[in-house]
Amino acid sequence: MKNLLALLFIIALAALLLYVAANMPPMGDPDNPTATHVIPRYLEGAEKETHTENVITGIILNYRGYDTMGEVTVIFSALAAVLAVLGRERRGRIHAYVDRSTVPSSVIVRTMVRFLVPLIVLFSVYTILHGEISPGGGFQGGAIIGGSMIVFTTIFGLYESSRRIPQKVRFPLEGSAVVTFFLVGVLGMVGGGNFLTYAWPRVAAGLQPALVTWLTVLVEIGIGLGGAMVLTSILFCMIREEEEIAVVA
Amino acid sequence: MRLLHNYHYAAAMLLFCIGLYTVIARRNIIKKLIGLNIMETSVFFFYISLGYLDGGIAPIRTGGADPARMVNPIPQALILTGIVVAVSVTALALSLVILLYRQYGTLDVDRLYRDEDGGTHGGPSGEDAP
Repeated sequence: MKNLLALLFIIALAALLLYVAANMPPMGDPDNPTATHVIPRYLEGAEKETHTENVITGIILNYRGYDTMGEVTVIFSALAAVLAVLGRERRGRIHAYVDRSTVPSSVIVRTMVRFLVPLIVLFSVYTILHGEISPGGGFQGGAIIGGSMIVFTTIFGLYESSRRIPQKVRFPLEGSAVVTFFLVGVLGMVGGGNFLTYAWPRVAAGLQPALVTWLTVLVEIGIGLGGAMVLTSILFCMIREEEEIAVVA
Repeated sequence: MRLLHNYHYAAAMLLFCIGLYTVIARRNIIKKLIGLNIMETSVFFFYISLGYLDGGIAPIRTGGADPARMVNPIPQALILTGIVVAVSVTALALSLVILLYRQYGTLDVDRLYRDEDGGTHGGPSGEDAP
């Protein structure tokens, strides 16, 4: 009965939304409102103003730098909240309960994962460092590292994978995204501009393009490392809880 | 017909409805979270489709690409933010779900309500539950 009511409500909502979709401007039309107002300005000016060939990276890190700084704060606070709820993983107890994954895996899977994970990490380094001239960037690279850690942990278990990235390495790096962003912002003030200015007025004009590019790459590296470590830490504390449940129940 | 031309939008809206139905109708909290993620994905899909341009190219100016033919970069930049926030929300929600399961031993919403109304709760650590 309740589900039938929900279904009726969803069908009404779907009809309404499809009616809206049928009356929206045609998709892909160059004269759409979404493609006309500020977009040409961004596309034309981004290369000159942000010195990044990838317009999206220019928008994320330069035009909307405050927004992205808030975003890295959000992902850091998510980690803080997860740690407050679950607590950090403790290796002694993990070692006592299980030191291998519960997923049975064949030799082929183990060998291939051992072979592939370094290559995945290499690809993520490429994604992070080339974020300003090709598709990619800090968040994407960090997510790729996190994904490779998920694959590795699924096959080899928490004990092995938390030995690869020990807690004393993760602990200082988790906040690196926020810290890098904030330091670059403050350095912009030292350089004579406003907070989060990449082009510093006190530096000679000839050095400006290189300076902007390197600061962008620096922020990308910080975001990539921080995102990867945050994802890995969240994964590890969730796995500890799961194995604790499995053992007690 | 406009709806058939805007099939990206229509698909995103149907996906949104599927996700919302999952959130409402399913009793398992994990399945509710999956529904929430489907809803988020549909919004991302809708937003990216808004920036689509017929015959457009990626907004990367390497090699002197023509800015007039590039797709809209703003939705892509915004959705990157959205994805990160969605991941954060999912991580926090999952950790709360783990805590709930530890306390009550069930993920069923109806049973959780019953437990809250003063029933006996079993589960892995039911004896020290509030």
